[in-house]
Amino acid sequence: EQSDEDLALKQQLELYVERVQDADPGLQKAALESMRQEIRTSTSSMTSVPKPLKFLRPHYGTLKAYYETMGDSDLKKYLADILSVLALTMSAEGERESLKYRLLGSEGDIGSWGHEYVRNLAGEIAQEYAKRQSEEAGIDDLMELVQQIVAFHMKHNAEPEAVDLLMEVEDLDLLIEHVDNTNFKRTCLYLTSAAKYLPGPDDLLVLDIAYMIDIKFEEYANALQIALYLDNLQYVKQVFTACDDVLRKKQFCYILGRQGITFELDEEMCADDEERYAMQDIINNAKLSEGYLALARDIEVMEAKSPEDIYKAHLLDGRASAGASVDSARQNLAATFVNAFVNAGFGQDKLMTVPSDAATGGSSGNWLFKNKEHGKASAAASLGMILLWDVDSGLAQIDKYFHSNDNYVIAGALLGVGIVNCSVKNDCDPALALLADYVDKEDPFIRIGAIMGLGVAYAGAQNEQIRGKLMPILSDSKTPLDVVAFTSISLGLIYVGSCNEEVAQAIIFALMDRSEAELQDPLTKFLPLGLGLLYLGKQESVEATAEVSKTFNEKIRKYCDMTLLSCAYAGTGNVLKVQNLLGNCAQHLEKGENYQGPAVLGIAMVSMAEELGLDMAIRTLEHLLQYGEQNIRRSVPLALALLCISNPKVNVMDTLSRLSHDTDSEVASAAIISLGLIGAGTNNARIAGMLRNLSSYYYKDATLLFCVRLAQGLVHLGKGLLTLNPYHSDRFLLSPVALAGLVTFLHACLEMKAMVLGRYHIVLYFLVLAMQPRMLMTVDENLKPLSVPVRVGQAVDVVGQAGRPKTITGFQTHSTPVLLAAGDRAELATEKYIPLSPILEGFVILKENPDYQEES
Amino acid sequence: MLTVSVKWQKKVLEKVEVDTTQPPYVFKCQLFDLTGVPPERQKIMVKGGLLKDDADWTAIGVKQGQRLMMMGTADEIVKAPEKGPVFVEDLPEEEQVAAVGHTAGLLNLGNTCYMNSTVQCLHSVPELKSALLKYPSERRNEVDQTSHMLTAATRELFNELDKSVKAVAPMQFWMVLRKKYPQFGQMHNGYFMQQDAEECWTQLLYTLSQSLRGSSSGTSENADALKDVFGIELLSRVHCQESGEESSEAESVYSLKCHISHEVNHMHEGLKHGLKSELEKASPALGRSAIFLKESRINALPRYLTVQFVRFFWKRESNQKAKILRKVDYPLELDVYDLCSEDLRKQLEAPRKLLRDEEGKKLGLKGKEKADSKDTDVKMTDAEGSSTASGESSKAATLSDGAPSDKEAQLTGVYELVSVLTHKGRSADSGHYVAWVKQENGKWIEFDDDSPIPQREEDIVKLSGGGDWHMAYICMYKARTVPM
Repeated sequence: EQSDEDLALKQQLELYVERVQDADPGLQKAALESMRQEIRTSTSSMTSVPKPLKFLRPHYGTLKAYYETMGDSDLKKYLADILSVLALTMSAEGERESLKYRLLGSEGDIGSWGHEYVRNLAGEIAQEYAKRQSEEAGIDDLMELVQQIVAFHMKHNAEPEAVDLLMEVEDLDLLIEHVDNTNFKRTCLYLTSAAKYLPGPDDLLVLDIAYMIDIKFEEYANALQIALYLDNLQYVKQVFTACDDVLRKKQFCYILGRQGITFELDEEMCADDEERYAMQDIINNAKLSEGYLALARDIEVMEAKSPEDIYKAHLLDGRASAGASVDSARQNLAATFVNAFVNAGFGQDKLMTVPSDAATGGSSGNWLFKNKEHGKASAAASLGMILLWDVDSGLAQIDKYFHSNDNYVIAGALLGVGIVNCSVKNDCDPALALLADYVDKEDPFIRIGAIMGLGVAYAGAQNEQIRGKLMPILSDSKTPLDVVAFTSISLGLIYVGSCNEEVAQAIIFALMDRSEAELQDPLTKFLPLGLGLLYLGKQESVEATAEVSKTFNEKIRKYCDMTLLSCAYAGTGNVLKVQNLLGNCAQHLEKGENYQGPAVLGIAMVSMAEELGLDMAIRTLEHLLQYGEQNIRRSVPLALALLCISNPKVNVMDTLSRLSHDTDSEVASAAIISLGLIGAGTNNARIAGMLRNLSSYYYKDATLLFCVRLAQGLVHLGKGLLTLNPYHSDRFLLSPVALAGLVTFLHACLEMKAMVLGRYHIVLYFLVLAMQPRMLMTVDENLKPLSVPVRVGQAVDVVGQAGRPKTITGFQTHSTPVLLAAGDRAELATEKYIPLSPILEGFVILKENPDYQEES
Repeated sequence: MLTVSVKWQKKVLEKVEVDTTQPPYVFKCQLFDLTGVPPERQKIMVKGGLLKDDADWTAIGVKQGQRLMMMGTADEIVKAPEKGPVFVEDLPEEEQVAAVGHTAGLLNLGNTCYMNSTVQCLHSVPELKSALLKYPSERRNEVDQTSHMLTAATRELFNELDKSVKAVAPMQFWMVLRKKYPQFGQMHNGYFMQQDAEECWTQLLYTLSQSLRGSSSGTSENADALKDVFGIELLSRVHCQESGEESSEAESVYSLKCHISHEVNHMHEGLKHGLKSELEKASPALGRSAIFLKESRINALPRYLTVQFVRFFWKRESNQKAKILRKVDYPLELDVYDLCSEDLRKQLEAPRKLLRDEEGKKLGLKGKEKADSKDTDVKMTDAEGSSTASGESSKAATLSDGAPSDKEAQLTGVYELVSVLTHKGRSADSGHYVAWVKQENGKWIEFDDDSPIPQREEDIVKLSGGGDWHMAYICMYKARTVPM
């Protein structure tokens, strides 16, 4: 049923087809011209084939055949153009005739045939390219086309298509000449987002291009983010030298401070001495404590909280044991940790910092001595946590414990110094100065305190002096195993992600020197972990070391393998490695093998990189729970905790809640601690309620109750102002130091009985490495807090979307400083200021907008 | 001369002169003047190292205007308290009990929950405990060997329960119990069989009362120690309607039976039923056997009143003791006044009035306080006090128990619930027995074999049956007394 109009068009086209085959070149030309005209002017809906193309369909073969008979001429090229367009709908799959005739055609403006034609052509080019690559044929003609197509796409808001094509033909460099002011932002956004899904080394290449584009358009803050993602300090330096705005440089310093890397500015990066010192202070996080306290004052949570405020026993009926008259060392230890977690960084609490002279009868003044043996170490160290980041008053308060005659107290004080200095650097290097002498003391626990303190304070610093101090400990055959274990962890932390050969060698030798009996000890597991941390996120660089690990004693070989693999690919989202690890978990082991624990954790470490992989991993872990052996079930909660750290997803919460009642007490304790970790610093009411009920359920099981208390403390970490999430800046950047701290703690939790529940509960303080305020603090040009209205809402993925889509949804307007929950994003609600960082997280400097006009 | 700035705590000491020709100790003394921190407690940090007292300034390479950092306080050094705290974990087991707040559970030795729950209920009676304590270890002639052994074993078991935190295995007690009462040693398929807890309760009490009789240092006045504690004296009138014959008899029992029929919804009704019975016996007047009606009244009350729900009856078809699942409510506070004989009622009048007055005073006090609204705090505490009146009065009762020399504690006919033995299942010889016992601190604990579980008081009266959940089988009430 065709309308008259259609019929007329059809006849017209048939006539053209006939005429094209006419002998008269003039007539041919006129026919081709008309046909071309018809095709170009035909507009049609997106879903149906344009009419001219439809009516020409039966004649495609004829025209093709005629084309072959034609002699070379302009007309032939003309016909090729038309055939190329017709092939868009008519070419058989895989023939790539559109491309074929395009190459034979007149090479006119590619965009004149419309978007769909270009898109199709791009697809065929990609296929052709792959074919020619395998045949090692030339590609110059293709590249010329690519040039045209890219130029067309970039002009027409189709940056993702352009990037995709260039990635297919492996020539992203072309992009740089085509980006301009209007499209570079979207291009870079697409590049950086795509990088997460690309296999190495393509991802690095893509980010490299994004970096170059950002530099080209002076979008230095973005360039810096990419430089940090690539962990390329050369690039970081370049950003600093390229930018000449002091204020923007200061913003860069804040970004560096959040990432927690050690970076020294030199004169080239900032000529002015005064300014340089100020900037170095920002990188060193010297003012972090100040900012955090300003946030706390603004939110009005300065008042110290006691563990009882957290337990909220009055909400439980009957079951809560009536205030026992006798102190329980285990419960006091739990209170010590809860107190430390809850009041972390606030500088005041109700147990440790209360002035001793004010204490009535010395009961509260001597909280320290209400702890037993190793508990005293944790109590003394908790002072460091309470005074976190505040080096000056921290050291002053800890000082008095240095003169104690109790070795545990001294060990705790040493660790406390390390904790205070965690992620804060100081020119005087107080931690090194104070701790160095204790590393070689007689008492092993004092040594552990000093060594762990150094590891926490200098994580990621790659400090040669400390290496010189610690390496001899590993090679000394008389060193006790626990000291060796903590030394290798500290070295792993200080050289995290550095691939340092010498440190690796030292740990490998220490591992080889262990006797059969020592290999069975839970503490030995810290050695492979220390080794793994050296290669955290460094992918292939681990291979040489992994090769060496094959020569280890079989008791530790597999364990070491899994640890190295999971550390090296941590935060990469590499699916092949996840499968490898899963394969290891699928085996049902003989008794005594234990490498599946790190393999399960590894799944989480690798797949935590991006949301899709993360959700997939959560489902996979659910399967492991059902089919895995007991040792796997014990590690699954910990893996879930890592995936949802400080991000209480409801489904994970439910799974963990179920496991927290498991008949296997190790599964239960891991699940309880994990509940604390996923809720860490969120004050999540649902988790808090669950834990409260667990505290009455397990009221007579001292160890599980201890776990419940720890989890309660974690949920209220920093009274809800802190996060443990190692990812920041819109989940783009991963702080290696923070991840290292988390992984170390989780590995320690694999040996819950020996570590957290045993003598080495100080491992809980490894979490301090991941602790960061989850705030947005806006400051003015003098770095003084400045309150402005901001909209805070759920982040929306805007990658590849046209126009200027909204980046947040369901927002509320607040005044800074504000807290940001997991998945939240903020944007300024005023035009008066311009933020110097594209991502509103942490400290953001605001500059006055010169174009702003006060609304009358 | 070289000057440096020294950062100390939050302060910066500007322009401190350094005499590089003198050892650093001199410099530290300078700082002592400025800060009051003694030199030996000063830690001065110079680029990742500590400044030693005898170091060489030139080797350190201090520069003009360099910033040093000093750590140290003049604070008192923290000393461990002379007497460290005592931790639960370090305590010997018996002292941990006090901290836990309840006594230990009993391990199940294989279908011995009937025995465990019986023991837990009886264990909560302090009078029984003290009577057992007085029991001599040497057997007396009037007590037979097995009874002596059982009594001694009970004493040992009670002791152990008081001292232990972990669950106790009542091995010895069980062996002796089987020896004394071989019916508890019945085997089925190689396992010991579940038994009726009521039988165990009755037998055990019987044995104990036999062996404890007159045991206490031979004084004859306290002849039957347990009779005071558990014994109920009944005065019965036996009457035959046909012949009009009538006689009365007195007996002593250790528990009241609560009969369950279709009309019985409450324990009180069941008790009334239990005190009436029909029996067939030879009537001398008629010269044949006739139906006699027996009506009993309580003539003397014990300190602990045991009520047994007659939930089991012998079902011929299934050849087992079947269970009546009917819901029968029982109160936390039981008044048996109307089950008493006239004589006893007269005796009870005065103590009951005193009790009423006391309670009335409490309520009245509250009323007065309400009128005078000035002192709200007092009212608050008082309101709380009266809401836990039962707990308080139990305390008062124990107090008056403890000091009987001043005033004699008088029974009032009012009792409060102190333990419940429940059964779950469809017949007496199967299912599971559990004891619910009120502790001295007023908290209820469910003793489910080896695991004591805290419970709320309002949940205790919910064990009244009407389903397949635990239901009360034996209730033990403690008398409320007033000092006279």
